[in-house]
Amino acid sequence: MLLCAALLRQRYLAARRDWAGRLVYVVAAAAGAVLFACIALMSYAGAAYLRHAHAQALLVSIPAWAFLVYLFTDVFIAFGQALGDLYLAADVPVLLVMPLRTASIVVAKFVAGVVTNEVYVSAFLVPFVLGYLTGAAAAWWSYPLALLGVVVFPALLYAALASVTIVVLRYVRADKAKEVLWLCGAVVPTIFWVVSFWGVARANGDITTLQLPAAPSWLPSTWVGDLVAAGATHDVWPAVGWFAFLLATTVVACPVALAFIARGFLRGYSEAATNPPAVRRRAGHFGRSSALRALVRKDVRTFLRTPQLWFGHITALGFIAYLLVGHRAQTPILPLTVQLAMVQLGFVAMLAGLNPGMTALSLEHAAIWLLRSLPLSAADIVGDKLAVAWGQTAILVCAGGLALCYGYHFDAPHTLAVVVFGLLMAAVSVGCGLAFDATYPSFQWDNPNAINRGIRMVMPFLSSIAVLLACALVLGLARVALHGAAGVLVGLAASALLAAAVVRANVRRALQRVACLEP
Amino acid sequence: MPQVLIEVDRLTKSFGATKAVDGISFEVYAGEIFGFLGPNGAGKTTTIKILTGLLTPTSGRARLGGFDVVRQPLAAKRILGYVPDEPNVYQKLTAVEFLDFVGDAYGMSARQKALRIGELLALFGLDGAAGDLLGSYSHGMKQKVLLCAAFLHDPKIYILDEPTVGLDPRSARLLKTLLREVTARGGAVFMSTHIMEIAQSLCDRVAIINRGRIAAAGSVLELQRLSGERTLEDVFLGLTDGVTGTGMAAAARGPLPETP
Ligand SMILES: Nc1ncnc2c1ncn2[C@@H]1O[C@H](COP(=O)(O)OP(=O)(O)OP(=O)(O)O)[C@@H](O)[C@H]1O
Ligand SMILES: [Mg+2]
Repeated sequence: MLLCAALLRQRYLAARRDWAGRLVYVVAAAAGAVLFACIALMSYAGAAYLRHAHAQALLVSIPAWAFLVYLFTDVFIAFGQALGDLYLAADVPVLLVMPLRTASIVVAKFVAGVVTNEVYVSAFLVPFVLGYLTGAAAAWWSYPLALLGVVVFPALLYAALASVTIVVLRYVRADKAKEVLWLCGAVVPTIFWVVSFWGVARANGDITTLQLPAAPSWLPSTWVGDLVAAGATHDVWPAVGWFAFLLATTVVACPVALAFIARGFLRGYSEAATNPPAVRRRAGHFGRSSALRALVRKDVRTFLRTPQLWFGHITALGFIAYLLVGHRAQTPILPLTVQLAMVQLGFVAMLAGLNPGMTALSLEHAAIWLLRSLPLSAADIVGDKLAVAWGQTAILVCAGGLALCYGYHFDAPHTLAVVVFGLLMAAVSVGCGLAFDATYPSFQWDNPNAINRGIRMVMPFLSSIAVLLACALVLGLARVALHGAAGVLVGLAASALLAAAVVRANVRRALQRVACLEP
Repeated sequence: MPQVLIEVDRLTKSFGATKAVDGISFEVYAGEIFGFLGPNGAGKTTTIKILTGLLTPTSGRARLGGFDVVRQPLAAKRILGYVPDEPNVYQKLTAVEFLDFVGDAYGMSARQKALRIGELLALFGLDGAAGDLLGSYSHGMKQKVLLCAAFLHDPKIYILDEPTVGLDPRSARLLKTLLREVTARGGAVFMSTHIMEIAQSLCDRVAIINRGRIAAAGSVLELQRLSGERTLEDVFLGLTDGVTGTGMAAAARGPLPETP
């Protein structure tokens, strides 16, 4: 218990020190509040619309799917987190040599992990539940019950995911285990999603009879979803039943999982701590390069040799699959236009570019002193970071854009417009991310996927989303004012101007920050 | 009068309320090895980080080869070889790739790089591991790679932060020989160290820094004569509010401090 409290306290203090600037706190809190309000409002609007349209079946089937989406996202995040918290965290060796029982270390780490997940839950699920229940005019008792269920949910999830991590470590070498876990986390949900929604796409009929296919009943996300849905339909006993079931499972599952993890912990730890075997590479010949090219080559090599960095891109590509499937279902509500496809790809590009951008400098890790002590200008450094982050995103945007347009049966000029817009949005999010990373770099991390934990994500995300929405508005206005190709062209040109201005401002800020960086 | 290669003038660096470096001034001439001694937390690494452009000074000035480290950072860095106190390197590059990168940053030609990299790796006994990722290197091996990087472009000025920590005796000896060669060619070496034996045998002049201020500077002989102590270690302890040999004996005779 004491250890739990000590670890939590230390993590809280560390988070506070990361955000030492007062202003940052205020801005981050405001950004968080905006996100919370947006999710709540959208859920409210959606639920209220469906209620007035008497689409009861659809309304009731939504929560289970919403929680399922969260579960999939969490699967992706939590595998890495479990591995990072339990095995790769810098404090584990210190804790292990202290006279502490392994079980208490595992429990303390587990609690700390669950608490981190609760933060995500309160940012994404709580506003959804509140908005949904209000929109669906749910009974009063459903609010506390649903919120309690939502709070219990992550513990169960994390217990399961941490156990899977331990099992994987037993059969897969530690240096490969990370990649295997992240790959599972990305591929399994994508396939599941595509297979499930294929059914919806074929479902014909009007909105009052439409409903999502039943979510798998063995998943805890479905239990929480049904709990929330029971609130919407004023069925008190099913709601209480689901809650009791969820709670009972958690109370049983967590200790069992913890005992299991504690048993395999020491062995897993020594495996995870083993360095990957030395990789022998050809000495190669030397050529003369400019400083910028040398920097780019270094960062490309690092990217290619660090599989953790690829998985963000794999998820982004998974999004394309979601879109292709989803579009068949949403056609009656939202007509598929070139502009819509542009915004869709723009969104994927934005998501894909965010992480490379906002980790570009932090990836230098403890070796950042080198960039500052070598005769390299800030322009060289920022230029390199932009090129590498945008370059990797651009490859993904081109591949994803071609796939999307092929699936949508677009012709070549339209495909070009979609891809160009995607590339612009990638530049915007890379620029926003880089400026942010140059202002608040984080050179102390245990694994590269941990750089962006928590609140760090929110600000560049919101600023790029704002640019995307502005561009979407411009595209829409241009479409209404000038039909056809002219509308597309004018909208694209206006978006390009906007994007250029945003990128320029962010690059300036990054240049200033890099020039006075004190590692 | 030999040329001044490192010039530090009333340099100050504050971290919030703490003054890590408090108005220090000194000069290092071409052809000399200058030792920078001081207890833990005295401000050695902070001074070195200012000299190498990693930190900006709160006030005061520092020049390398006549170039101001704040106003002409690139020119100053071009004539500098630096080894930090902790050997943090790019884990995902091999030794050869790393040195190739460093060579490019200094604008070396392909021929120069090929020649120097092979030569230095062999000298430090790393040629067998040259194709391995640096992430798999031991502490001392990383330290050696950083020494190779510092010597790579044959700079005029060397700034080394406790360079012998983690090196085996053979490599420590090699380093001393290399540094002697540097000064024989008219270069200057500025190094911090905790090892009195190295300071005494290797350094032409030393400065002792304590709580951000220079307590004494001069050749080892001068310092001994001035303070009347017999060894450099005694001089050091006397100047840095440590207890000297006689003081220790007195402390040992006194009553034991109460334990809480
Ligand atoms: N980034 C920093 N932020 C705040 N204080 C710092 C920072 N870096 C150093 N200090 C403080 O400055 C003082 C000098 O530290 P410095 O690292 O220069 O000591 P040092 O002489 O190199 O010591 P050592 O022999 O242990 O390496 C210390 O009091 C330290 O706490
Ligand atoms: Mg130091």
